[in-house]
Amino acid sequence: MAGLISTNTFWTLWLFVHLILAVGLLGALTHQAMAVALPVRRIAGGIVSRFRAVPAAGYATAVCVLWVLTFIVGSYIYTKYRIQIRIPLEAARFYKTGGFFDFKEHIASIGLTLLPAYWYFWKNAQNPDFDNARKGVTLVLAAMCWFMFIVGHVLNNARGFAS
Amino acid sequence: MTATTATSRNASAPSLAASPKFGTFAITFSLFGPAVYCVIQFLNWPLFTYWPATGRLVWGYEGGLSGQGPNMLWYGWTVTTILIAAGLGLLAMMLPERVTRKIPLALIWILPILTIPYIVYSLMPWWVLAAK
Repeated sequence: MAGLISTNTFWTLWLFVHLILAVGLLGALTHQAMAVALPVRRIAGGIVSRFRAVPAAGYATAVCVLWVLTFIVGSYIYTKYRIQIRIPLEAARFYKTGGFFDFKEHIASIGLTLLPAYWYFWKNAQNPDFDNARKGVTLVLAAMCWFMFIVGHVLNNARGFAS
Repeated sequence: MTATTATSRNASAPSLAASPKFGTFAITFSLFGPAVYCVIQFLNWPLFTYWPATGRLVWGYEGGLSGQGPNMLWYGWTVTTILIAAGLGLLAMMLPERVTRKIPLALIWILPILTIPYIVYSLMPWWVLAAK
């Protein structure tokens, strides 16, 4: 890519890809979490009811693929973050921001380990033995995803690649 | 039965998801994964250390070296965790089904929540600096 775009633009584009994947993941997981936490009796109704009335099982594979892809792209840009973002953040005494980013990386790894059971539970949605575990793990993954999304967003506001 | 759960129940299971052995692997992997990650991070056992400034990758842990920039351990911790959790999953597959059926499934979502206090504690250097 040398010569075509600047280094900052290159990393900003990858960050944008990370963002797009994260938005897709957040949307899918939020739909699914709402569907298991507040299931609807009738699909007809307002936007909130329709939001909750999605065929939740169909999201499971997409959520796993999106989590892994977001993780891989995030891992790639993390190398640049460590040099270009974190060091200036520490120099500017943005310690809470840096701490929350490390928190986010741990959550991403822990969430990754939950995916096999999450996928298995959803692909066996006809088994009532898995109902509670499926609901619990989906809500935990959705909460993790929202946390990571907000931390990433705030961090980018504090110092993005183009800073 | 709700509309949503009715739709969910109709989902057909692909062959991998229909396998009880894979189920045992997946449940064991996810059950132990969060705890294994915390232990690996506490003991600092990354499979490898990455030095982003120089692009150097070394096996195991390598501490601060002058002129090399910062090291990155998170990749190594994550890969170690995946390997150990996968190993435990494979071991669980060898157990009789009457044993694996007794695994309390609620732990799969309770344990990740219980790891949060440890993670916050492990990041104490950041919070101490922020409080100064």
